[in-house]
Amino acid sequence: MSDPSSNPKPFPNRTSNSENATGSVEDTALLSRVGQGDEGAMEIIFRRYSGPVYSAALRVLHDTGQAEDVMQEVFLQLWRNPTAFVQSRGSLGAWLVVVARNRAIDLLRRRKPSDSVDDVALPSPVNVAGEAERNITVEKVRRVMAGLPQEQRTSLELAYFEGLSHSEIASRTGDPLGTVKTRIRQALITLRKAFEA
Amino acid sequence: MNRPGSNPAPIPAEDLALYAMQALPAQEMAAIAAALRDNPQGQQELARIQGDLALVALSADQQPAPAGAFERLQQRMRETAPAGPASVPSEGPIEMTATQAEITAAPSARRSKWATFTPWVIAAALAIACAILGYRTASLNDALDGESGLVSNLAAKASHAQQVLEVLNAPNAQRVTLTATKTPAEPTAHTVYLADRGALVMEANNLKPVPAGKTYELWVIPASDAAPVPAGTFQPNGEGYASLVLPTLPSGIAAKAFGITIENAGGSAKPTLPIILSGE
Repeated sequence: MSDPSSNPKPFPNRTSNSENATGSVEDTALLSRVGQGDEGAMEIIFRRYSGPVYSAALRVLHDTGQAEDVMQEVFLQLWRNPTAFVQSRGSLGAWLVVVARNRAIDLLRRRKPSDSVDDVALPSPVNVAGEAERNITVEKVRRVMAGLPQEQRTSLELAYFEGLSHSEIASRTGDPLGTVKTRIRQALITLRKAFEA
Repeated sequence: MNRPGSNPAPIPAEDLALYAMQALPAQEMAAIAAALRDNPQGQQELARIQGDLALVALSADQQPAPAGAFERLQQRMRETAPAGPASVPSEGPIEMTATQAEITAAPSARRSKWATFTPWVIAAALAIACAILGYRTASLNDALDGESGLVSNLAAKASHAQQVLEVLNAPNAQRVTLTATKTPAEPTAHTVYLADRGALVMEANNLKPVPAGKTYELWVIPASDAAPVPAGTFQPNGEGYASLVLPTLPSGIAAKAFGITIENAGGSAKPTLPIILSGE
């Protein structure tokens, strides 16, 4: 088996069957097997999502060692209690990457973990089926982000990847607090609309 | 927290976005968390924002996990059995905060040690801080004790100096100069001078009365050969005694000698010969 981790694959689709259209075992079934202590199922999940999870943590921390720490913690958390992820919350991949980002920010700011798993609930706008569609999603996100007004993208990235508070962003950019809030909100709306279209 | 049945206050979507990114101060984070309870609409919007943010995460450059990462994870997994539904049927979703310490306590070759040792580091730091504070408190107390002792010492000295001055300046003090028997008493004067402070005390005895309109005047003769500096005029009492205590003098004049002359009443800018008394 080749090392899938060398080819990051953002969030695959979930279907109602145990295997999806691409032949991959769906996340729910894998999580069920993880609950039984199946290391093989855990390995599949890890190979499937470790790239995006690691990449998100690395983008925040800029440190490969710390990024792996965060990634390991997130997956170990899933191993310890796979029921922590509830299917109704949305995509497992999206859930893992958001939790990883939040943990990375916690580490960046040297604070204790500040949100619970329950706080991270997502609908499934990022569910994609198959590797080709996943790659298309990544490219589309990047295209939309690149098309944002510079000040919107800067505000969003400072908040999301640098972990700055809106007041810190306002201090850095010299913009009023309300402007910073609006820019971040507008950037997210643009992103959402692009994927709802 | 909203009461069941009441209309929850709407939370601005802008604030929800910042909340989802943990980009608000702790106080505002807590306020929004409270406002989200019993607020299905707010929770739904928060979930949508989290979905948006998952997309943002995808904009990061996609990197593969480091080689051997799963093997390292596997090693830790084997030290931590999964909590299946049968073993923990009632727990449901668990919080990352509850397991963070357990996760970070497991060994890992690549893992940084900060998370593991953070509680101990904090405890050690607190202990050190307490020790430092205790030491500083003790030091401050010692310093305070020292200062108190110094103040007491200065007060005692001041009291003693005051007594000396009172004795010296008392008009009714009995002043006697002892000389060899049957030797007539000669006029004498004694000066005590601190050049750096410009402080001077002079006592004179057996001075003869000066004519009307005249006065004795003391002079400081500078070591620099500069002009003599007048140090004050004085008149002896009926017993020939006179004193000058801390007359106005500039500081920093090193003296090589002192002299007393007789000048017109009111004093002079320059000494008038002859010098009645002098000393080096």
